[in-house]
Amino acid sequence: MTVVSPGTSLSRRRLLPGSSGSGGRRPRNRATADQLAGWGFVAPSVLLIGLFGLIPVIWSFVISFQRNDLQTPAEWVGLKNYRQLADDPVFAESIRHTVVYTALFVPITLVASLLVAAALNRRIRGISIYRLAVFIPVVTSTVATGVIFTWLLDPDYGLVNAGLNKVGLPSQGFFSAPNQALFTVVGMTTWGWIGFGALIYLAALQAVPSDLLEAAQLDGCTKAGAFWRIQVPLMRPVSGFLLVWLTINALQLFDEVFVTTKGGPLHSTTVVVYYLYQQAFQFFHAGYAAAMACLLFVAIAVITLVQMRLTREEASG
Amino acid sequence: MPSVVRTQRTIRKSLALVSAAALVIGLAACGGGSSGSVTGSTTITVWHGYTDVEAEALKKLGAQWNTEHPNGKVNLVFDGGNDGALQKTIAGFTAGKAPDVAYEYGSSVAALSRQPKLVDLTERVKDPAFKWDDFFVSEREASTVNGKVLGVPALVDNLSLVYNETLFEQAGVPLPTPDWSWSDFRSAAAKLTDKQKKTFGWAYVNDGSEDTVWRYLALLWQAGGDLLTPDNTKPAFDSPAGLAALDQLKQMAVTDKSVYLDSGNGNYLNLFNSGKIAMLWTGPWDLSSINEDVKYGVTLLPGYNGDHQTISGPDLYMMFNNSDAKVDASWDFVKWLISPEVHLQFAIDTGDLPVRQSETELPDYQKFLTKYPGNKVFVENLKNVKHARPNIASYNEVSTAVGKMVQSVMIGQSEPQAALDSARDEVTGVLAGS
Repeated sequence: MTVVSPGTSLSRRRLLPGSSGSGGRRPRNRATADQLAGWGFVAPSVLLIGLFGLIPVIWSFVISFQRNDLQTPAEWVGLKNYRQLADDPVFAESIRHTVVYTALFVPITLVASLLVAAALNRRIRGISIYRLAVFIPVVTSTVATGVIFTWLLDPDYGLVNAGLNKVGLPSQGFFSAPNQALFTVVGMTTWGWIGFGALIYLAALQAVPSDLLEAAQLDGCTKAGAFWRIQVPLMRPVSGFLLVWLTINALQLFDEVFVTTKGGPLHSTTVVVYYLYQQAFQFFHAGYAAAMACLLFVAIAVITLVQMRLTREEASG
Repeated sequence: MPSVVRTQRTIRKSLALVSAAALVIGLAACGGGSSGSVTGSTTITVWHGYTDVEAEALKKLGAQWNTEHPNGKVNLVFDGGNDGALQKTIAGFTAGKAPDVAYEYGSSVAALSRQPKLVDLTERVKDPAFKWDDFFVSEREASTVNGKVLGVPALVDNLSLVYNETLFEQAGVPLPTPDWSWSDFRSAAAKLTDKQKKTFGWAYVNDGSEDTVWRYLALLWQAGGDLLTPDNTKPAFDSPAGLAALDQLKQMAVTDKSVYLDSGNGNYLNLFNSGKIAMLWTGPWDLSSINEDVKYGVTLLPGYNGDHQTISGPDLYMMFNNSDAKVDASWDFVKWLISPEVHLQFAIDTGDLPVRQSETELPDYQKFLTKYPGNKVFVENLKNVKHARPNIASYNEVSTAVGKMVQSVMIGQSEPQAALDSARDEVTGVLAGS
């Protein structure tokens, strides 16, 4: 779904001039037929998204006004869940952790993906092996990644601390230290996402017309200059897409925390979705958790809208 | 909650299984629950989360039951793992596909006690032929919520001290004895710790989960304390006993640094196997994962003023009413499954402890002891289970607060009394809110 959207916009641009030139005879009927065909193509996804996306969202919204333990009949409590959230120190903490995580993860991943893509955008022997190596973390299961990282970063027996000690640096706590755990999660997830970002950027880099670069070179522009002044600005829509996509994923961080730190030590990696899971499926406060989910939904919607607006204006301006 | 650890063993064995479990959690979160197809009106569906040898042994018993009872067959359904059984069962209710019988952790019984479909077994266990008194006290307590019997024992275990004899010999430390005190334990652990060789005297699962909590509870009870007041309305662990237990942990983990703090991925057993950790407080489920070349012994937990009591995490079979005929059929099957002869067969196949006291008097019990010599102490230690965890619906929240308290002391982040104070306030809030 994600990989498709920049691709479709590119292909649409290429196809549109051709199609408008050839089909001029019965524009109106043609348009309705096209529309019908279009709806036919998207109907399965609309149905699936409606069934598994929209209905649960609406249902969560309803539950958020209830005291609901998922077993006994629910009880209407009005805005009580939302009021309680306002006074919940753990919820406040989880928001802070989510914001810190997002503020670190998104820019680091964006820049690192861009640089990796630039490094991979060349014709040298064995380049596909390098590209594969960068992409492998993306297709590796989060659970496997998490378990391997907890072993590598074990404070007493981990390979990483052994290496640090070899070069005379002290051992670190990583996942076990409350002041390092969140940053360790940032590091681990960045490693997992760079491949995805690099893949998108690589595709975009290769779509930049080479005559533009040649023209720049004729005018005496260096390779690095052409990269920053021509390729990067031309990829703005792609950067915008990645920004939105990475932000949404960062705000919904869960799996990595679940398999490595379980929100600990001492709540230091409790992010909003992990806390929500804990409330809903360990404590069975489904109404309370649904209220959190609704707030998160609104937050993500607002942030995404702002980001889309910003990147669109930049792109057009 | 012994099977928390049980699943950790599975992590070590197969990552694929864990991702399957994660997928199941995902499914449960979506509210979808798949159950086995029910064919014929008297076929009952039994959900379980057993893997490996236990799954095979259960399947064998299920097949035996089905050949003997062509009109009352049993359909065994793997629910993705016992760790997610509670979530899966509740998702099943929401989806309208509840099982007739489900294997559940003892700590889940209070949460499920609110379930309208749950079958109250209080009258049924009174049947003299069932011999309810034959079960160990800890099992009966774990099955009972507010005087009602809501499940029957499926598995029982306890924590005992498992030690690597070779490491003791190498360090010149005398082997643990059943009358060891806390300070004997502490000083031995310190002597067995070697910074250069990276060996630790003891390992503690310090992820703040129930796995962290129940080892603390054993210490708390030995010192004469309890988690909550007898009516389960207020915290009681902020006591001299609660402080003594936390002090012991602090002295070992922070002062002596003789404890390996496991992050919850179950690394402690690999390290025990490779001779890096000398002692574990663990249950019978770990014995089958100890390598053959490791010479180990099992004894009672070290005690406080001669009190060596331990903690047990009994798991249960719980029944749900989908129709009266199915309830009767389910009861017949469960009764048979935990009858002395049948369960002893299961114990011999799997190494799980007997759930009934009378199993230890059957002739075949010797086969069990010969096959699993390490289990002898675990069976005897069942007598030392004197307390049960409180069966209250908010137990998971209480456990989370206490787990955080222990964790903060073990990593040297809080002083014991300060940690007790803040956990007490948190638990007070939880109990007042429920």
